[in-house]
Amino acid sequence: MMLTLENLSKHFGGVRAVDDVSLTIKEGEIFGLIGPNGSGKSTTVNLITGLYTPTAGTVSLDGWDLTALPQHSRTSRGVARTFQNIRLFGNLTVAQNLWVAQNGHEQRREHFLSRWFKPGGEHGPDIDELLQFSRLYSKRDVLAGNLSFGEMRRLEMARALASAPRVLLLDEPAAGASLEDAELLAERIRAVRDQGVTVLLIEHMMELVMGITDRLAVLNFGQKIAEGTPSDIQDDPQVRAAYLGSGHDEKMERASA
Amino acid sequence: MDPFLTSVLSNIGLFSFLALSAWLLLIGGEISFGQQAYFAIGAYASGIASAVWGWPFAVALALGTALGAGIGALVAWPAARLSGVHYAIATLAFAELTRASLNVFRYQRDIDGYLTGPDGANGFRDIRWVYEAGIAPGTYLAIIATLLLLVIVLIWLAARLNVMAQLRMVGEDPILAGMQGIRVLRWKIGAAAAAGGVAGLGGALFAHMATYVEPAQFSVMTGVHAVAYGLIGGLGTAIGPLLGVLIDVGLLESLRSLAAYRMIVFGGLVAIILILRPRGILDETLVTKVRSWARR
Repeated sequence: MMLTLENLSKHFGGVRAVDDVSLTIKEGEIFGLIGPNGSGKSTTVNLITGLYTPTAGTVSLDGWDLTALPQHSRTSRGVARTFQNIRLFGNLTVAQNLWVAQNGHEQRREHFLSRWFKPGGEHGPDIDELLQFSRLYSKRDVLAGNLSFGEMRRLEMARALASAPRVLLLDEPAAGASLEDAELLAERIRAVRDQGVTVLLIEHMMELVMGITDRLAVLNFGQKIAEGTPSDIQDDPQVRAAYLGSGHDEKMERASA
Repeated sequence: MDPFLTSVLSNIGLFSFLALSAWLLLIGGEISFGQQAYFAIGAYASGIASAVWGWPFAVALALGTALGAGIGALVAWPAARLSGVHYAIATLAFAELTRASLNVFRYQRDIDGYLTGPDGANGFRDIRWVYEAGIAPGTYLAIIATLLLLVIVLIWLAARLNVMAQLRMVGEDPILAGMQGIRVLRWKIGAAAAAGGVAGLGGALFAHMATYVEPAQFSVMTGVHAVAYGLIGGLGTAIGPLLGVLIDVGLLESLRSLAAYRMIVFGGLVAIILILRPRGILDETLVTKVRSWARR
């Protein structure tokens, strides 16, 4: 047991964006979260990272309740994310974007500077390694706002990894990427998982989701309608009807082929 | 040194404190039209300390700085929860409140047969410590320049320790900054305190040079100029706001042929620069380029 959502709900007025969702994401797995537009995937991520306060329910990591914690302490407890519409510090350099403030229970006082700013923290990933992993080493002193779209996507994931997360939430990391880029992305996601990071992947690109997730859940109108392995989900009639619909059949066949 | 030049350079120095104060908040993502309030607080507090209480000049300066910083933090504590236009309005309201309060603030004592101290709208005269100590204008300019340099060195040190980058993160995207483990509210209050302190120090230096201050000097236009200096000079480096002051006070105000048209020319300049270079002349892109070029 690792990241657990229990009866999580978020209502915006009369809209039930997330409605009584329970999920358990196990340590070291790549867990997919899929569903049509507006089904509550991003809202779920926002609830996990503390951007929204849930209407009801709890989010916990290893049994520790995160629900009432502010964002910065969730980060220090090992939750990191990327955004659907890329979010970076455009007027800071690539290397500066990877800096993470150390606070909360991970604060280490023996080194004065580490209290202020230490790339990746004392036990975090080495910043140069992270840049190399993301194929951004040559751009380290370039302003993030001047990167290409693909480089920005890679930097965003590196930024999230810089806080040495235990759970990485990826919100549509392949949006706007070519199939080729998506394959490289899949490789990077697997590499991250192999480092011991648990991954929650929200994605529309079925080839990617079906190819790399260990298990996945399907949301529709804020409710969880199915959960299981990729092959379970592909065979689930409810999922086919609700989410994938007739138009998506072809895509599913392609993904399962 | 030519008295006119000395006075122009001193003015450039004093306005630089105000410009740096507004710039610090711009970096932290807030527009404040109220930094003149801390300038006024520094001026009045240090003036009272030296002229009424007879404290030494250096201690009076320290008091002006500390009070500016303290009140800056106090105002930011609720105001930092606001953003954008709301923050700007809140700072504006506070500055006008300060000015209106100074208009009715009377605190006078008999010093050597003269009533000395703030006298409401009539102002506060005889802040004579510097005169009585026999400090020449040129020497006073050197004091202003040294303290300004000290502030810039402190900002530069903050940049070396990545403190500035952290503040820039807060300014650019507070939500993302929170996700990177930064305590956004603390940083916003800290930036406001630093900005208040810098403005307070500038105000204290101003009061002792002018020997006379009155509430009307700390009007909204002063605060608007302070923001404009950073915006035209550039947000990429602390030299940016100084460049802004240099352009306005050094060039426009001091070239007597231009003086009558100063506001028109300055306003036009601000508009043009904001269209061509939204983050000022010395913006982050230019500063980064210069840095990587210098490293090579």
